[in-house]
Amino acid sequence: MISLPWFIILPSIIGAILAGFACSTMGAFVVRMNLASIGVAMSHAAFAGAAFGVMMGFDPTITAIIFSFGTALVIGPLAEKARLQSNIIIGFIFSIMIALAFIFLNYAPGEAAKGSALNILWGNILYIDFNDSLLLLFLSFFVMIFIFVFYKELISLLFNRKLAEASGINTKIFYFSILFLTGFAVALSLKLVGGLLVFALIINPTSTAYQFFYDYKKILIFSPLIGIISCLIGFYLSLMVDFPIGASIVIVTTIFFAIAIYVSPKRYKGN
Amino acid sequence: MKNNYIIYLENIETIYEGEKLPVIQNINLKIKSGEFIAIIGPNGAGKTTLLETINGLLPYTSGKGFVYGKEVIKNKLDIRKETGYLIQNFEIDPQTPFLCKDIVMSGRSGKIGIFKLTTKKDWEKVWYSMGLVGMIDFANRPVGKLSGGEFQKILLARVLAQQPRILLLDEPFSNLDFTSKIQIETLLNRIHEKHNITVVIVSHDLSFVPSSCDRIIVMEKGHIIMDDAKENILSSEKIDNIFQNGVLK
Repeated sequence: MISLPWFIILPSIIGAILAGFACSTMGAFVVRMNLASIGVAMSHAAFAGAAFGVMMGFDPTITAIIFSFGTALVIGPLAEKARLQSNIIIGFIFSIMIALAFIFLNYAPGEAAKGSALNILWGNILYIDFNDSLLLLFLSFFVMIFIFVFYKELISLLFNRKLAEASGINTKIFYFSILFLTGFAVALSLKLVGGLLVFALIINPTSTAYQFFYDYKKILIFSPLIGIISCLIGFYLSLMVDFPIGASIVIVTTIFFAIAIYVSPKRYKGN
Repeated sequence: MKNNYIIYLENIETIYEGEKLPVIQNINLKIKSGEFIAIIGPNGAGKTTLLETINGLLPYTSGKGFVYGKEVIKNKLDIRKETGYLIQNFEIDPQTPFLCKDIVMSGRSGKIGIFKLTTKKDWEKVWYSMGLVGMIDFANRPVGKLSGGEFQKILLARVLAQQPRILLLDEPFSNLDFTSKIQIETLLNRIHEKHNITVVIVSHDLSFVPSSCDRIIVMEKGHIIMDDAKENILSSEKIDNIFQNGVLK
């Protein structure tokens, strides 16, 4: 086991908890609204953005957010009107963003920059600092306020967008708010989980919670809870056996999902 | 003139995005507050498009449209808050993770208004409308586990909870067995008489035009081809070309 002093580990533990919360909470919206393909595109855009930041010597978190938002601004309206199908989004945006990321990383100056570029690729337990944790804390707080204030609109939108519109809700505002908050969660979690795997932290905990509940309120509670637990176990695994933290977290979320599928009461007849 | 009518459409034409041909055209329709109207016609006649043009879900491409005296294009959100809309053939996954009570409450979301939380009064409206359709015992049931008829009643409770001034009902009798059809028909008659709500229903089944309905509009190929009192329409020869024994040929 890797032994590290508490003052180094603490920001990472807090970061892991907050990243688990933010990503998995947004997952509850992304999964239900079939935004997974846009989310994958945004997470890889964030990865490309971070790589661009490393290449140019900028803060990779800032450039990750800019790329992620840029993608949401371009793809969001197109996907919203079903003019761009999800397989096209994944096939096209995913590959171009990964290609761009590798080009940016190739031109990253010096060994130190290349090292931080690799951290963005698969995450690093020690790469999260106090500022990152603070940003994640602000985001988590904002997400909680967003859900509390707009709960009735969000439930209406999550059930059916057309019905929500028919009852007088401006669904476009909520659709784009969800996209941008997801972009934020992805960009801020990039250092911990890594650009290639961050989206699993959005999809897997919600998919796990889905196996147990028929009440969306419970999914909104248990999805972040599963995300936080997965991040903490993944964190511990990473310290214990020296796995990359992103990979550890994704393996834990996948194991949870597999168990949930197996024991899910929804799979039994009569449920 | 337009202020005398709750719905006022003049030369309305609606074209779907990306299409060239209008789905409905030359639509002139004036509906007074409290009327109960049935729109009938074969598939593809433009009945649903007409309903969604009225509440602004589909923007009209030419003409003028006013609901509650407000121009539809500019006031669609305000209009929808006061207008209940029951969608046709709404399919639902059995695993859908929502409870019936939350679906009914979602009908009030727009009306309650943004930045406002639901109150006890809102929940009272929910229980009342669930009681009206006889689904109060289903409040905590997952919506995906309902039969087609039960789900249709929940969707009806959803629009009633909105306390609308206009009810737009697209095929409200689809998915219902005979007993449920009678129940819903009786309910619609009662709601119309008690609350004097303007009701516009779309149907392909002439035998289930509710008794409170006083006017029938017949549509074909995107045009209104007949618009008259129920008795006149039902006794006309032209209607026999479209329907046979009350059902579409």
